Amino acid sequence: MSLVSKMESKSSATSPSERRLHKELLALIKEPPPGVKVDVDSVGKNLQEWKINIDGVEGTLYEGEHFQLLFKFNNKYPFDSPEVTFIGSNIPVHPHVYSNGHICLSILTDDWSPALSVQSVCLSISSMLSSCREKKRPPDNTLYVKTCNKNPKKTKWWYHDDTV
Amino acid sequence: MKVKIKSWMGVATWRWIANDENCGICRMSFENCCPECSLPGDDCPLVWGACSHCFHMHCIVKWLNSQPNSQQCPMCRQNWKFNIQ
Repeated sequence: MSLVSKMESKSSATSPSERRLHKELLALIKEPPPGVKVDVDSVGKNLQEWKINIDGVEGTLYEGEHFQLLFKFNNKYPFDSPEVTFIGSNIPVHPHVYSNGHICLSILTDDWSPALSVQSVCLSISSMLSSCREKKRPPDNTLYVKTCNKNPKKTKWWYHDDTV
Repeated sequence: MKVKIKSWMGVATWRWIANDENCGICRMSFENCCPECSLPGDDCPLVWGACSHCFHMHCIVKWLNSQPNSQQCPMCRQNWKFNIQ
């Protein structure tokens, strides 16, 4: 049985957060937006961790590059935002992405809304990459990476640059 | 042929008149209840904001209660006010 049919036959998922994640996962498998692909094998049984592959958009500085995002959800999702980081060997070089994969993006903390979704977060990150004009790390990268908490949601981010 | 009606049973269907199919918070359809409830209808009503966005009452209240500093509509980020009709 394929994962999709296995999931569709799963009659009633347990918690409210699992139910919503279950719907989102099915939608993402069936109708993925361009350049976004969920790694189905990475999705744990309780749906609390997903890996998602993102392609650099054609005609941008990241064309031809491939990135991987790790999403972690707690049982308060969607009232609580997911923890989202870049993982793997290719962390995009971008003024809002630290070399440890942490992303400075307001919708992941202060500006989170339960109407957002895995798909809309992926598209926001993809468009954040696409609007970049110069590949460089954040100016405080070295210090931040040395001193930050493992969980980027514990960082008190300072959002000041909406241009990229 | 003459038919004599001995008894009858009225049946009605109902649905919410909302500007959307699904609740933007839990993603369940409005014909169904929020994930915390088991029976749709009066026990799990819909509510509207002044901004015209609509949610399961339980979903929007849960969201507003989780936001100590600002009470915004999840869809349009305007300050949330219940639209009492």
